[in-house]
Amino acid sequence: MSIPNTAATDGIEPVVPVPGYPNTWTHTPAQPLIRRLPGRTDLAGPAALHRKLVPGAVNLAEPTPGRPAIGQLMQVSGRILDEDGRPVAGAVVELWQANAAGRYAHANDGSVAPLDPNFLGHGRALTDADGRYAFTTIKPGAYAVPVEETWWRPPHLHFSVHGPSCLARLVTQMYFPGDPLNAMDRILNAIPDDAARLRMIARFLPPPSVGDLFLGFTHDIVLRGRLATPEA
Amino acid sequence: MHPTSQQTIGPFFPAQFFGAADHDLTRISADAAPTRRGETVLLRGRVTRQGGLPCVNAVLELWQADAAGRFAGEAEADPDFLGWGRACTDADGRYAFRTLMPGGFRDGLGARAPHANVTVLGSGLMRRVLTSVFFDDAAAVGDPVLALVPSDRRALLIATPEGESEGLRAFRFDIRLRGEAETPFFEV
Repeated sequence: MSIPNTAATDGIEPVVPVPGYPNTWTHTPAQPLIRRLPGRTDLAGPAALHRKLVPGAVNLAEPTPGRPAIGQLMQVSGRILDEDGRPVAGAVVELWQANAAGRYAHANDGSVAPLDPNFLGHGRALTDADGRYAFTTIKPGAYAVPVEETWWRPPHLHFSVHGPSCLARLVTQMYFPGDPLNAMDRILNAIPDDAARLRMIARFLPPPSVGDLFLGFTHDIVLRGRLATPEA
Repeated sequence: MHPTSQQTIGPFFPAQFFGAADHDLTRISADAAPTRRGETVLLRGRVTRQGGLPCVNAVLELWQADAAGRFAGEAEADPDFLGWGRACTDADGRYAFRTLMPGGFRDGLGARAPHANVTVLGSGLMRRVLTSVFFDDAAAVGDPVLALVPSDRRALLIATPEGESEGLRAFRFDIRLRGEAETPFFEV
């Protein structure tokens, strides 16, 4: 079975349907996507989106001072870039994740793993002039996907990024280097291109750069948008 | 540089990410004064998947021009209108936005009919989908982007007038991700 709208992304975008992920069989459009040239509606973007999506917590690990979350404290930071490698300033970056036990603080998570009242599972930041974001959090736990033939999701962070145009909108996930579950994850491995998968795995920062209180990871995210170059 | 790959938003997008005025494009934020330009309308409908079953907790993002056909940041655009909003579907797959009737405009593609761009993200969608909703079938005739849609599917992108609600004109736009009468989607 082939789905035409997965074509022409050079292996960077996920191939669907994803085995073991039944919803991808019923939610993905079957008709080919319609190609159009970008116009004003695509090139423009809500420049002051932070007025709507107000920046929130960047410390998920200790929302109440003196009451840290359970888990391995971690700092994750990086830059939001465009396809030419230029930093994207003023991008809204939303992050959400499971707690150290692999449980989301969300009504839809039916897992029996415990919630952690001292862990805030979500944060929102605005990139600075260098395109930088930074969060303090804990390393999330893995969890089993509740489908018939279950499989494990490796520890991962969810990122939602709003760039400068309608086209530069990205929702992705970040993975951790060296985790044996990465090789078996259906969602990560839906990306056919080896290098593209590697780009979704954060880089470990050795202690000299973050000190001894936190694990350190750095993760840059590149937004699409070259299509947004105005037509001559 | 290569763009970062898309991944599904999954089923756990935090409820806390939806602010009180996020689905209301007529106000930039919950404590901001509403825009005084243009006609406020309701845009609502259902998001369904194969078999017509509801998509629960799908995230919709709307992006559109102001009442005069200008986008936020462009010269003389409505300063009280960002043109962007976000909503989430309920257990029945229903969503609702409160927004301005967008104005038409002209760009390199030609004369664009009044429309709003809708992105849908959700569990089971590995990549976001993008479509456009038009508000008036007579005005939409000749729109250069709607013309790219096969003629027998164009009507699927025209919102249906649904009378008035809260004293505002209401429009219905159902999004069928897959299957019968599947909504036309554009390349992102």
